[in-house]
Amino acid sequence: MKRYISGAILGMVMAVGVQGAANAEDLKPLTVGFSLDTKESSLETAWVDFLKSEGESQGKTAGFKIEWVINVANADPARQAANIDDLITRGVDIIMARAFDSGAIGTSIKAAQNAGIPFVTFDRGSTSGKPTAHVGGDSYDQAKQTAEAFAAILKKAGIQGKCIELQGMLTDINAVNRSKAWNEVAKETGQYTTIVQVPTNWNPELFLSGLTNALNAHPEANCVFAASDFAFPSIQAALEKAGRWAPTGQPKHMWLATCDLLTAAVKPMEEGYIDVSTTWDAYLQAKEAVRVLIAVAKHEDPGCGPDGCLAKGRVVTPATVKTIPNLWSRDYSK
Amino acid sequence: MSGLRLRAIAEFLMRRGFLVVFIIVFLFFSVVTRHFFELDNLLNILSAMAPLAIAAAGLALVVMSGRLDISIGSIAFLSCAIGALLMRANGLSPVLAALIVVGCGALLGAINAFIVVVLRVNSLIATLSTMIAYRGIALQLTDALLVQLPPDVRFIGNARIGPIPVDILLMFLVVILVHLLQSRTVFGRRIMAMGNDISVARRLGLPVDLTGFNTFVLSGVLASLGGILTTIQNGAVSPFLGSGWEFTALAAIVVGGISLLGGRGTIFFSVLPGVFIFEMIRNGLTNLSANPYSYRLVSGVVIFAAMYADALKSGQGLRSRILRSRT
Repeated sequence: MKRYISGAILGMVMAVGVQGAANAEDLKPLTVGFSLDTKESSLETAWVDFLKSEGESQGKTAGFKIEWVINVANADPARQAANIDDLITRGVDIIMARAFDSGAIGTSIKAAQNAGIPFVTFDRGSTSGKPTAHVGGDSYDQAKQTAEAFAAILKKAGIQGKCIELQGMLTDINAVNRSKAWNEVAKETGQYTTIVQVPTNWNPELFLSGLTNALNAHPEANCVFAASDFAFPSIQAALEKAGRWAPTGQPKHMWLATCDLLTAAVKPMEEGYIDVSTTWDAYLQAKEAVRVLIAVAKHEDPGCGPDGCLAKGRVVTPATVKTIPNLWSRDYSK
Repeated sequence: MSGLRLRAIAEFLMRRGFLVVFIIVFLFFSVVTRHFFELDNLLNILSAMAPLAIAAAGLALVVMSGRLDISIGSIAFLSCAIGALLMRANGLSPVLAALIVVGCGALLGAINAFIVVVLRVNSLIATLSTMIAYRGIALQLTDALLVQLPPDVRFIGNARIGPIPVDILLMFLVVILVHLLQSRTVFGRRIMAMGNDISVARRLGLPVDLTGFNTFVLSGVLASLGGILTTIQNGAVSPFLGSGWEFTALAAIVVGGISLLGGRGTIFFSVLPGVFIFEMIRNGLTNLSANPYSYRLVSGVVIFAAMYADALKSGQGLRSRILRSRT
């Protein structure tokens, strides 16, 4: 009897093994050429890692074995065009590119499409040609999530916010979207008002002088919204100068909401100086990119909106910043 | 009588056009906002303008000599990036790092000087190319990321002596020294002679090349000093450090009264008011809670008003010519 049972178990194990091997062999190869404009920071490293890991997991589920062919243009649009030509010559199945020059990438898009290769722009869109699809971050939703979470935090603390808004560059659509979302939520919730808008041109020196001026002009301000926290040391310097650099829970605390949660903001959030942020999410962008690539490979509609397939950010607070998974600004910081 | 008085007023306005614009803008913000005319706010303006004023003083020397240096922002960025990276990687002391930064500024200025003086390349073209190259090197070195200063250095940014922030005192010290160098030394007089007519200065036997070389080196040194100040204020070297300084500084010194053609102006009374008015506009508009899109417009209008007044003063404006034809 034991012999029969052992035989049956052995048979089942072998059957599963053979089935598994057959599945691995059944995976259809999908070669994706990825043209990066630069590879100068930890962000690009994180992207590549996330793309590979997501490619493996999502690809397996969809029946693909994704192979990545990656080249880097070293911030040279001519080099990027040549790199993409190389990918076309090599005969990759799909090309994805983060354009160095949105105005110049159109030529490469056309060349790829003439060769019958779908072209997906990543993070930075094209202004000179229509790609098969575009994948990027959703800057409007990012600020909306931050603002809604911030309003909830203020409500819980019983605070009526009088906020200084540190805007980005006014010709940058991301900055415009973030300002729009922030002020729309202000109207919807009534939990805070923007008492002054300070343009920074994404320049840390203007973050410092602008916030210093605003704090001086509006001593009643009790909160700050920064359209990006990449220049957080300048925000910190301005708050220190004004005697308002204190973590949450202390009387001098300035309620702080930001977008992006970049490297410079991770530690201040861990220490309770930043109350809420929404990630500029390298992981979710990579995940969305792989989903779109698979849909394109299957000749399916990836279901993008008018601005492309935009990955949303994740809301992070001091309570979650240490534990939220795949946070590139924390895990890949130098 | 009244005609004579009007003409006297018109002549005064023409001679002191920038001053008039300056006073009008200052009074306007003082009257219509609550906190503009307060000591703390005025100190904020001076503190914010300190890095640019120091760099602009160096640029002013080059402009007075009849040349241009539009690489000052990139020199500030590259030299400070090197200093900050050395501090981070090797635990270099802040004082030693600052000396290295200033040394880098001098070296980068000397490269500019070599291209202009020895290779005889037009200063605008030469410093345009080094502006791009220096920034490129700095971006490569920093990976285009923020290089934060160690926490124990950050406090210097908000240090004060009495009620006055140290950066303001440093600004006054440096600008006064450069002013004295320009107005009270042989070197300064040679700069002005070059600016008036370089060929005449050369024929007179003045060491034009050496003087020109040194102005670029000084410009590099002062740019790096300005860079140190903004780095300490911000607590980090950012990829934007010094970005746009060249044009703001140029606009400020011209608005302040230094001729782009060289040979005219003074450091203290041109650089400080010129830089102050730009920072004052930014500060005043924030005090007014003005629409963010209005900042550039207002700055542009004020620059135009001051420049037009300067043109009138120089006898190049239409009104000046009309008035002269009537007399």
